[in-house]
Amino acid sequence: MPEVDTPLLEVRKIGKQFPGVRALHDVDLSVRQAEVLAVIGENGAGKSTLMKILAGVQMPDRGQVLIDGETVTLDSVKASLDSGVALIHQELNLAENLQVGENIYLGREPNRFGFIDRKQINADAVKVLEQIGLAVEPTTPLSDLSIGQRQMVEIAKAMSVGARVLIMDEPTSSLSSAEAERLFEVVKDLRTRGVSVIYISHRLGEVKALSNRVVVLRDGENAGVLGSDEITHDNMVRLMVGRDVSQFYSRETLPIGDVVLSVEGLRTPTWPEHEIAFSIRQGEIVGIAGLVGAGRTEMLRTLFGVDYPVAGTVAVAGKKIDLKSPIAAIEAGIALVPEDRKLNGLVIDMSVRHNISLAALSRNRLAGGFLNRAIENRDTTQMIRDLRIKTPNDAQITRFLSGGNQQKVVLGKWLSMMPKILLLDEPTRGIDVGAKQEIYQLMEKLAKEGLAVLFVSSEMEEIMGMSDRTIVMHEGRITGELQRSELSEESIMQLATGNANKVATVTN
Amino acid sequence: MNAKSLGIFGLLVMLFVFMVLMTSDSWTNIFSSTFLQSNNLENLLRRVSMYGLLGIGVAFVIITGGIDLSVGSIVCLAGCLLGIFLQVDYQPASVFEVHRAKVASDMLLVHGNADGVYKVGDRLRMYRGRQPALLTVQNVEPVQLADSEGESLGIGTVLKVQGLTRDEDSGQVAKAFEILDFGQAQGGQAAWVRITGVPFELAARDRIAFFHPSLGLKDLVVRKASREGEVSKVEFEQALGERFSKEWMAMPTARKQRMAIPIAIMSVLGIAGCLGLLHGLLVTRVHLQPFVVTLCGLLIYRGISRWLVDDNPVGFGIEYKETLSPLGSGKLSLFEWGTGDSVQTFGVPYPLFVFLFAAVIAAVFLNLTIWGRYLLALGSNEEAARYSGIRTERVTILAYVICTISAATGGILFALDSGSISPSSFGNFYELYAIAAAVLGGCSLRGGEGSIFGVIAGTAVMMLLNNLILLLKIPDRLEFTIIGLVILLGVTLDETVRRIAARRRAMKSAQS
Repeated sequence: MPEVDTPLLEVRKIGKQFPGVRALHDVDLSVRQAEVLAVIGENGAGKSTLMKILAGVQMPDRGQVLIDGETVTLDSVKASLDSGVALIHQELNLAENLQVGENIYLGREPNRFGFIDRKQINADAVKVLEQIGLAVEPTTPLSDLSIGQRQMVEIAKAMSVGARVLIMDEPTSSLSSAEAERLFEVVKDLRTRGVSVIYISHRLGEVKALSNRVVVLRDGENAGVLGSDEITHDNMVRLMVGRDVSQFYSRETLPIGDVVLSVEGLRTPTWPEHEIAFSIRQGEIVGIAGLVGAGRTEMLRTLFGVDYPVAGTVAVAGKKIDLKSPIAAIEAGIALVPEDRKLNGLVIDMSVRHNISLAALSRNRLAGGFLNRAIENRDTTQMIRDLRIKTPNDAQITRFLSGGNQQKVVLGKWLSMMPKILLLDEPTRGIDVGAKQEIYQLMEKLAKEGLAVLFVSSEMEEIMGMSDRTIVMHEGRITGELQRSELSEESIMQLATGNANKVATVTN
Repeated sequence: MNAKSLGIFGLLVMLFVFMVLMTSDSWTNIFSSTFLQSNNLENLLRRVSMYGLLGIGVAFVIITGGIDLSVGSIVCLAGCLLGIFLQVDYQPASVFEVHRAKVASDMLLVHGNADGVYKVGDRLRMYRGRQPALLTVQNVEPVQLADSEGESLGIGTVLKVQGLTRDEDSGQVAKAFEILDFGQAQGGQAAWVRITGVPFELAARDRIAFFHPSLGLKDLVVRKASREGEVSKVEFEQALGERFSKEWMAMPTARKQRMAIPIAIMSVLGIAGCLGLLHGLLVTRVHLQPFVVTLCGLLIYRGISRWLVDDNPVGFGIEYKETLSPLGSGKLSLFEWGTGDSVQTFGVPYPLFVFLFAAVIAAVFLNLTIWGRYLLALGSNEEAARYSGIRTERVTILAYVICTISAATGGILFALDSGSISPSSFGNFYELYAIAAAVLGGCSLRGGEGSIFGVIAGTAVMMLLNNLILLLKIPDRLEFTIIGLVILLGVTLDETVRRIAARRRAMKSAQS
């Protein structure tokens, strides 16, 4: 070990200016050897820019980067890798058509007379894979691997070039709980091997569990550093948003009305062997908890008519509906804010107005199929105002909004149609703390107005904070329902892992 | 009009100015420009209109994120079908296939029961001989026909005729009629004849073939016909000619047009629409790739076209000179200037009207109706469109139908304009022109983007380039090279500009 005082990697007074925007201003950061340093901050706080600078993707305008106390110039990805800094991308940078070993050595294949030396690749890859504890053969096609395993391959790749600092950008955003657990083990293991990890995440629970120190960025500046004993949820949130968030989830108990959605004997195409039955009342917020892959998204997809149910009945306000397409669901008053808004929720290259009006166009159309622009403009303006969507104007392309505002556009699309039932799939995924809170307030307001809100979330706090009642799913079936008073992390996990010895108290 | 259409419009204007200057005698006398000659401009407008129809159609498919490679073959198929549907036959009265019973005999064997149709003393004209032979029936006798194994072939007729020469041994015979009297054209009065015994009612646009054993043959178009008992009085469009006499025999032929013009056009468009429907179904239901589906279409329709017409040229001749052909080749004359031999006119080619009509409808559809919005939305993100309750499959199918119908409309105009088309080459590569025009006009092959105005401008640029090569006497071997380079340049510029704009925009929004 070098002297304890010299950080492995240090960033001094880094500044980066984009035309018209100051992305980073005098940011300091240091990583010691064998340390997990979390970097957190709201979207736009400058985390990504800082990491891109470290990975050699972008050059800073001012400031220095030091490695082992010496100034280095990270003007290319290769320069960074040579200095021992590797970035594990949020969207994985692997070739799906190649094998695991080939991916690890992509671009620097050992060769003999210009021919790739497969034996060498596989022999080397086995060692690296063993190091990080990924039990797959180097000859396995990458396409056979789960997302979590692929991430491990990325890490293996970084390790194989001798990286000393691994930057992980939102590594758990697409992992199941089990895979995430696996990743945490690997991170801890890396630390014991003397590798440092810069860990970027929105999930404060993970940050708390994993990191030795937390650096908080806000508006491109250092907002504070938390030592290991200061890492608490409240401290992190306070530094991130710059104000005290005493009541993050402020739920008041609302009067609950009649049953508006009742599901009986529903079998989804993904889990046809299990029947799902539950109901929601007006003004109720019901959370659906469970591990990733528990069939929650599939259930919502079925309820919204994206997947056709194998069996069972779904009734809205007592009237059975045939969910043969989203159109049927929409006509019955069901709306879905999908998990992946870029894939299913938004036409991201269309304007805010066109996105908000998209679902209602048909309902509002004039004779002959002409667009009703007056209603379109009125509804859009209203939604932008009501949901406080931050956009220069309604003709702004949705791609250029922040995640939170994009999510509000999806919400606006549905709320303009005044649905009876709002299905939300991971409604706060990938959006910053401020916007999260706005979404929560909105959910509550909608429930107060009489909507039934059904939301899927993988964030325990969100489930516990927001739901009047929680349905817990495990491998395609409902393992239990918990009233607000019965909610605890433990009770949810018991049911989520299929341990259903707590008998569900169904009160509908 | 968005910024992107403005770019292509700018290119169009620049090309136009460049053309004017390059083809003028001097920079100050632009009226000497060969480019600005009215027939050149008319021709250019005509081509822009016809290719533009293809471009607009394919733009719809491109907006969905698909592609249609079958456009050129659809053009050809539409042309061939129109030719077939509008084919005109002139049917003589009482025709039969015949062959000579024995070499050098005066007996003809009629394939069919001609008893009662032909009577002793009837005059018949026989085709396929060197000379149109004129026969006189001397005897009619029905016979039972059988093949060599004794199988019955039905009833035939044996004719004993006078007037066969050595050469004729098989062919067709049809009834010929004697001329009772006639009048030459004079003053406002048309030429006329009176004949007797025609078994059908003659009408305007039927024809009568007159022939004379030694003076030959002449084919006249009926202007007006009337009938009193057995006697028909027929007036003609043309003159009878000075050597005409009662010696000539008349063989009236009835004009048979297979379909009325509107029905023929509707049928062609309907068939094209069905093919589009098929493309759409294969793409949306069977989940085949649009490239593959329409590539197969390209091959299949070309083959069908050639097979339908036996690889023979299809022509409209003069049959539709007054009626349908001007839709492709005619113009609405607007200005006339100059005197005597140097008189010049400028007119708007009729295809331009068709094109503008289609363009306005297309633009309204794309921009002002919910389906247009759906098209743009699903082209950009089909999943999100589906999650918003849009019947994406139907809208996609509709785009393919629009495309083939536009292509067929273009095909009809192209066919009418050229008058005669050869099925093996007509419409070749037109799909590439159409796709290039759409792409130049701002349609992204990724889908979700495109404007009708842009496609029009894109087509105009393509046609100007084509014209440029012609007028500047650049070897036309280089045509494709030049067009290719200009498109490449255009899309490169466009992509660069877009990237810069996107970056600016991202920064601006990061700032706010």
